[in-house]
Amino acid sequence: MRQCISLWLFALLTPALALAAPNPKLAIPSFSALAQKATESVTITLDPGLLGLAAKFLDSNDPQDAATKEVLKGLQGIYVRSYTFDKDSAYQQSDIDAVRSQLAAPGWNRLVETRSRKTHADVDIYIMVDHNQAVGLALIASEPRQFTIVNIVGAIDLDKLHKLEGQFGVPKLDIDPSKGTPAPSK
Amino acid sequence: MNDDSTDPLDEQLAKARRGERAALTLLVQTHQRSVYSLALRMLGTRDLAEDLTQEVFMQMNGNLSAIDSNRHLGFWLRQVTSNRAIDQLRRRARVQLTSLDEEPQLFSAEEASDPLLQRHLRALLADLSPQARAVLLLRYQEDLDPVEIARTLDMPLNTVKSHLKRSLESMREKTANMQPMRCEGSSYE
Amino acid sequence: MSKDIESQMRAALRAVAPSEEFTQKLVANVTSRLPAAPKPRRFAAGLRPLAWWFSASLAASVVLAVGVHQHLQQQRLQQSGLEARREVLEALRVTSQKLNLAYEAVKSQSTSLTDAQSGA
Repeated sequence: MRQCISLWLFALLTPALALAAPNPKLAIPSFSALAQKATESVTITLDPGLLGLAAKFLDSNDPQDAATKEVLKGLQGIYVRSYTFDKDSAYQQSDIDAVRSQLAAPGWNRLVETRSRKTHADVDIYIMVDHNQAVGLALIASEPRQFTIVNIVGAIDLDKLHKLEGQFGVPKLDIDPSKGTPAPSK
Repeated sequence: MNDDSTDPLDEQLAKARRGERAALTLLVQTHQRSVYSLALRMLGTRDLAEDLTQEVFMQMNGNLSAIDSNRHLGFWLRQVTSNRAIDQLRRRARVQLTSLDEEPQLFSAEEASDPLLQRHLRALLADLSPQARAVLLLRYQEDLDPVEIARTLDMPLNTVKSHLKRSLESMREKTANMQPMRCEGSSYE
Repeated sequence: MSKDIESQMRAALRAVAPSEEFTQKLVANVTSRLPAAPKPRRFAAGLRPLAWWFSASLAASVVLAVGVHQHLQQQRLQQSGLEARREVLEALRVTSQKLNLAYEAVKSQSTSLTDAQSGA
């Protein structure tokens, strides 16, 4: 598993994959029809102004807030749309295709693609790299009664993401940031 | 809203209005338990409760000049906390309660206590609509009477009474089969 | 039984205190934003010409209105800031939840592969 993620990350950090001037901000549809059917909706739109304002209200003395503040540095936007329904198959994959099709554009690279028969959850994680730095992240999680789209725009620091491990339940991705490229698993 | 009682915190309120830090600290410490508990039981998680508690006291800070007594302050805090929590819940459509273990277990020495039943009651509370939940919390946590609850939530008195009646009936039904945990080992039908 | 459930409700809903750490943070945040103590206005005891008094009142009202407006703006900014903070934390929580789904799926695939290889 560690090798799997390591290889993906290593491939993405390779200069050959650096692409010029793509847009890491996705055009996310309003999903208003789905929102009306959903039992729960999460709609978060944080542009640079709001991120800056939020950072001022994060307490550097609190470990969670401090780690969050670090992650926010360099970010230009965080966009989340998540809809939960009270029955299976209340949404179609075609509803999400408008977003998926943007991730086929040059600049986006699929980092992880998982299909779980156990949880019936499909998760795709894409990353956009520019001059050896991640400048955009997109995540689409599709479950029988929920789908979630996350788009993070800006200088995503994998080192800082690594440091969020343990906060918010971020899983340990087994990245060794000190070496610049992921450490091989043993 | 004038209050003739000699509440020593009225003087602290006056001092806080004049900008005295110690007085403001005392007011926050006095009322934070009530505000935090309301927020926790309305919103379900410690993080959300802490955020709301902070927001409410920040707002209080900006409104001290409009509050004329400690009793009025208590009313104001309950009102703002309840209404803001209800607004948040409405926006979310459904509250995800991550863990009821967020709550410390309180065991009463003064009265016959059934911690398992109480835990179950807290869980049932979480299933109620935001308005019904607020009504029950103001009644049983804050010990307000229905008239005070109606004023706090700006809700008709009959609606308050209806929420109380229906919610308690529902809880009675759902807990009817629970064997109470008693030291004596007796059980009820 | 009616009294019993009500007394159990009271016991179940006894107010709980937040953590000591949170209390300290709360007090620090609230008291750090204390509004400035209003300076008492002093007016001369004697009578003043009506026109002057009117102008002075008007000027004072404008200053007061501007002050109140700024104070309300500050308050709104604080509320917006706290709301933005909450949204950031929620966004990261949702993101990490979904990352965890991917992680669990990859881990489970990796375990299956290892089991298959060692079985072979």
